Amino acid sequence: MTTTHTGAGAGIAAASPTTTRHVPGQPDMWFFVVFESLIFTSYFCVYLFNRARHETAFLQGQSHLVLWLGVLDTVVLLTSSWAVARSIQHARAGHHEAATRAALLTAACGVVFLALKIVEWTRLIHMGKTFTSGAFFPYYFFLTGIHCVHLLIGFVVLGLLLKQLSDPRRRSQETVETCATYWHTVDFFWVLIFALLYVVR
Amino acid sequence: MTRRARWTDPKRELWLAWYATVAFYSLYAVVFFLVTRTQPPGKPWYTPEQVAGWFAGRHTGLLVGFALIFVLGGLSATALALITYSIRRMSVSRAFAYSYLILYAIAAVPGFLFICVAMTVGTMRPGRDPAVLRWLYDLGFLSFSGTMGVFLLGSLIWMTAILLDRNGVFPKWFAYLNLCNALTEVVVAPSWLFHGGVLAWNGTIAWWINVVVFGIYTGTFIHLLRQVILREDFGTGPLPAAPRRDSAHRVLEEVMAS
Repeated sequence: MTTTHTGAGAGIAAASPTTTRHVPGQPDMWFFVVFESLIFTSYFCVYLFNRARHETAFLQGQSHLVLWLGVLDTVVLLTSSWAVARSIQHARAGHHEAATRAALLTAACGVVFLALKIVEWTRLIHMGKTFTSGAFFPYYFFLTGIHCVHLLIGFVVLGLLLKQLSDPRRRSQETVETCATYWHTVDFFWVLIFALLYVVR
Repeated sequence: MTRRARWTDPKRELWLAWYATVAFYSLYAVVFFLVTRTQPPGKPWYTPEQVAGWFAGRHTGLLVGFALIFVLGGLSATALALITYSIRRMSVSRAFAYSYLILYAIAAVPGFLFICVAMTVGTMRPGRDPAVLRWLYDLGFLSFSGTMGVFLLGSLIWMTAILLDRNGVFPKWFAYLNLCNALTEVVVAPSWLFHGGVLAWNGTIAWWINVVVFGIYTGTFIHLLRQVILREDFGTGPLPAAPRRDSAHRVLEEVMAS
């Protein structure tokens, strides 16, 4: 994936008068995106294969999920992705205070998402649907759980992003964009998980 | 290079450790997959009688394979030493190298040695109650697969060191491969809860996908350690680039030098 931007303003990126094309952030981070996507794809293939074999049991399990909670999760995370994208735009333009506010909004959305997930897990556990219940719930708890591990690492990454934005001596646009790439990846995985667990019935 | 010059090559100890690392991982694969056939793992849902049959069917392989591990398994220390050396070569604090060394040395006890001891006991005491054999079987596979999480912090320490390093000892993408490896090690933890299915100790997610990632990760770091040795200049600054292998470049360099 490439992006196009001009180095306008007093941003961290060089204020080149010409338009440059480059991969956002550290190119090595895209290795993580591709490799982790392959791993998640393999999990999704296993899920879909087993779902096709035990469709009734999976449908029965899925019927206990609340679709609007999943939609809300998705909206919150998409908002977080929008906020981190705004943060990058502000950082490129040299507006670091606005970039910091956008990054804080990203983190806040992440916390709301995590809280919603905990509410959803608690509700299901109270209904007797745990990690080992039936055919569907092991996948549900596994996929949402491993995604939340990625999200928790995302908070560390956002902390690094905020540190970069707040410290003019250590500021690096590449690092800021690398952090944002990680956060977008977490969001991307959630959209796929949401589609598979909540929507495909 | 003359024989004498080769013998006095200061890198020889590093090469010795690297070849020992290759020997260890080759031994590991051969013993676990071919000789003892403990990988892919046995079925988690086996009854005590089936477990007794499982031990009997692999009697010689288990004895020969784990005897080899008990004699040569210590070679794993060379891999650990080489990785620790590579972290020491970075511009980061030595605390990273020592943390990695201690963590992996301790983690190897449940993650590697428990299965060898449990399976050897089961093989050497075939007359015991099948329920006891089943307990040893569970202990072996659960400790081997279920404790993968103990390696997680080690991978994260290595990842952080690579990301902070200014000497360019490893490429940054390898730091992210460490993260991928750490995240798949978390995935094995549910095997404690399941007796069957994709998350059990022999499951598609908990074992097959995990072992593919681990295989890629191991092959990659062995290759990258080789590159580190090739590039090593025994200094403290950035590691120089690897020497070019193509003969045309070498000839050009020799002509330029003369």
